[in-house]
Amino acid sequence: MSFSTFVTDKPGLQKFYEAVLASHETYAPAEKFGKFDFKLVSRISECDPESPIAKTQSIKPLFFPRSAKVMKYVATSAGTDVSEVDEDPLAVKRIIIGAKHCDARSLQVLDKVYNWDYIDTDYQKRRENTVIISTRCDKADTHCFCTSLDYDVENLDAMDVLVVNGAEGKIYLRARTEKGETFLKENFSQQLAVGSEQSEVGSRHSAEEEMKKQYAAFAESFRLKMNYKEVNERLSKIFDTPEFEKVSANCVSCNTCAFICPTCHCFKISDEKVKDTGLRYKSYDSCNNGYFTLMAGGHNPRPAKYRRWRQRAMHKFVYYKERFGENLCVGCGKCTIACPVNISIFEVVNQVASAGIQE
Amino acid sequence: MNYTKQIQDIAAKLFAEGKIDVFVGYRVNGFDDNQVPALITDPQDVPKLVFTDKSVFNLVNYLKSEHTRRKRVGLVVKGCDSRSLNLMLTESQVKRENLYVIGICCEGVVDETGQKMQNCVECAVPDAVVSDELLGTPMSGSLTLTYRVNADIAKLSEMPLTERAAYFEEVFENCIRCNACRHSCPLCYCAKCCIDQETATLYNGANTTSSAFHALMTWSLHLAGRCVDCRNCEKACPSHLPLHLLHKQNESVIYENFQEHLAGVIPEDRGAFYKYSLKDPDDFIM
Amino acid sequence: MPLREFRNENNANNAGNANNASNEFILLRSKFRHFTISPFRYLFYMEKLLVPMICKVDKVIQETPDIRTYRLNFREEGLMENFTWLPGQFVEFSLLGSGECTFCIASSVTRKGYFDCSIKKAGVVTADIHTSLEEGDDVGIRGPFGNWFPLEDIKGKNVLFVGGGIGLAPLRSLIQYCIDNRGDYNDFTILYGARTSADMCYKDEIKEWQDNKTLNVVLTIDKPEETWTTNVGVVPKILEEVVKPEIENTKVITCGPPIMIKYTIQSLLKLGFADRDIITTLEMKMQCGLGKCGRCNIGSTYVCKDGPVFTNEQLKGLPDEF
Repeated sequence: MSFSTFVTDKPGLQKFYEAVLASHETYAPAEKFGKFDFKLVSRISECDPESPIAKTQSIKPLFFPRSAKVMKYVATSAGTDVSEVDEDPLAVKRIIIGAKHCDARSLQVLDKVYNWDYIDTDYQKRRENTVIISTRCDKADTHCFCTSLDYDVENLDAMDVLVVNGAEGKIYLRARTEKGETFLKENFSQQLAVGSEQSEVGSRHSAEEEMKKQYAAFAESFRLKMNYKEVNERLSKIFDTPEFEKVSANCVSCNTCAFICPTCHCFKISDEKVKDTGLRYKSYDSCNNGYFTLMAGGHNPRPAKYRRWRQRAMHKFVYYKERFGENLCVGCGKCTIACPVNISIFEVVNQVASAGIQE
Repeated sequence: MNYTKQIQDIAAKLFAEGKIDVFVGYRVNGFDDNQVPALITDPQDVPKLVFTDKSVFNLVNYLKSEHTRRKRVGLVVKGCDSRSLNLMLTESQVKRENLYVIGICCEGVVDETGQKMQNCVECAVPDAVVSDELLGTPMSGSLTLTYRVNADIAKLSEMPLTERAAYFEEVFENCIRCNACRHSCPLCYCAKCCIDQETATLYNGANTTSSAFHALMTWSLHLAGRCVDCRNCEKACPSHLPLHLLHKQNESVIYENFQEHLAGVIPEDRGAFYKYSLKDPDDFIM
Repeated sequence: MPLREFRNENNANNAGNANNASNEFILLRSKFRHFTISPFRYLFYMEKLLVPMICKVDKVIQETPDIRTYRLNFREEGLMENFTWLPGQFVEFSLLGSGECTFCIASSVTRKGYFDCSIKKAGVVTADIHTSLEEGDDVGIRGPFGNWFPLEDIKGKNVLFVGGGIGLAPLRSLIQYCIDNRGDYNDFTILYGARTSADMCYKDEIKEWQDNKTLNVVLTIDKPEETWTTNVGVVPKILEEVVKPEIENTKVITCGPPIMIKYTIQSLLKLGFADRDIITTLEMKMQCGLGKCGRCNIGSTYVCKDGPVFTNEQLKGLPDEF
């Protein structure tokens, strides 16, 4: 099935965004302390839908909050009463503006783990109620390597609406999913359209042509390129390589990479108690944390830093692929930027994989 | 400021003489001209070492790492780094005889945009105070080792209280509780930290604003009188939070009340929090 | 690759069970949410599996100085009858306000009206449980999770149980289950070791087992004691020297401290057992039990879903991180 495409121009897009902001609960990158985080915004001036990739946090917290209340309980003399806590954004329809390709893709990857066996209903509801509007990237950042991975960046359909900046100031709004289609039809007023002489099919074709043309230059702009299949194969064979110890030497064992990563989904459960009432939270956790697998008796299967780093790299590039058929890393490079000592997961997997050949 | 050649020579010599097991220095990170720490155990890697005004990270942080524990370590320190090393020595975290310290008379390092870092502009101790070998021309003589009012703190203290509260609420709201600040601080060497989520005892381990507030405040108080203003924490923060404000405020309170200034400059000086006298003022405690 | 085969096998198993189960689901409306329990007695679905059900502590048994057994029953009526599990499965046990821990269910579903959890004082939460949880108190329970001992595989075979310390807890669930279905199995041997005689759990029940003529019970302690008349020595040694198990047609099920399991498996292999006949349960840190939180990952295996029961053959296919 093919979805519709609308053509507009820069002021038209601004007006479209403004209309969306006015009528929906909208999240967009808003700057704070020089960093863009997806926040609830009410005016277009508060946010920047085309924020730089390097400075923008991922959209993960909107689906998997940094800290979510799971349940609350009250102890009474008659017994303990437990009840669910429903976080408010679950039922509300939300729009995300300014998500990057990698952000949208990360949700596709996360869907796999959240929907196997037990279905995480919170995540599922958030996912269903959110429309993601993503602007097509035209240039790679220093740490981007999405084109080197196992997914088709050119024809990515993880976002609901794709905004393509075309030639001559034309902007194409393309629906990529049914949700996006309905959203666009409901919210894009024809007054904003330009080039109305074009037919619907015509504008779709010109958008596709435009995308094809742009993609070549976009793919060319990547500094980091690797052969994914080879790396994946080699990594799966070299669990015991000493190379992990070398690449992880200057890691300071903080949790930044995992908390920033759009696909890291490990969490911990912790309780907060005030007298007879309490709350249970589900919040981020990271495998780089020394406590992560520490058991009550003192036994820790991953006591050393390099073991934890190996788990992180292998989980992203081997285990998840083996289990769910997708690569857990989407190549956004956010972890490298956030890392206090700039450890690049790209460098790590490539260095380890190439060390595998030498042996 | 470029001591690449000298440091490479010294490191090669140390390895050749078998004086060290691991050398902690800087290397170029491979994608831009910024630098990252390098832990070198193989003498062949010595040519990778560099030192310029982009050598920002405080390497004393690695003395708490499993890679340097119980090993003889060669280390490069700038003025602020050497102060934290001094504190580590005072607090019996490392043994001096296991270290070979290359001190730098630092002219200030720059951030990613190429601007001199703010703490370097205000720096009072540019020369390494602990060293086996000192590179560069010492200039401490021309400076007075004294407390200087931080521009940001001065600005903050002029703000009305409500505004200030709102500002800090924003800071804590943007904290994601990754603990990069605590892990990249050279003086946060506790194996079990009270702000780590898993061992948090004073408050919940969840990533809420209130727990971020408690965590960061507790953390900054543990560093009161010890912070050397190397800004490792602030550089590490993925949300770019102005963490130095917490430390600088502590510093000003300690200076005003105890006339203590500049942690780690004097060897064996244990700082305000370790000393007690009946004459200590306590009226600033609420 | 053993790992992949194992997973396929496991998936096939699950699919089969689900098909069976879908024929006659029992729907039960609870106060909090509805959940269905399959006649296959393990599949248990709740809408929000992170929210625990409240259980009442019926009885506390002080097994050893640092092990306590809690006998639990659901607060809500009608739940206990429908709460079913198979030996080897575990629950998430929460002391509300303190935290959640993973414990295996130490009793069998064939003993109606309660379930047991044996808890050793080891970490922060378990210490809290020991000091504050008494009879009549409430705890939160989620589960049961995980897979179970291969009951079909051991039918008609000799079964050798090798347990150490608190490791008898998951075995006890299976032993009770086997005793209650005694006709299905051949020879029965229970080898149980502890550091001292005081550290032995389930002392009364062990006496019952010893009195049971159809069971062969061998007990051992690590160091000699004055009142101790039988075997002295570590479990692997007694296994080789005293038990001398038959290899043909025998399945070994072992659980205990990691170091004991390691050496027991070594001596079992030395005795000539095949990898697939050695069954053990793994201990890994878990928090959700649902295959989401990622703590129990060993390679691409989720211990909480694919385990905790593994044969040695499957363990060999896993990276050495447990």
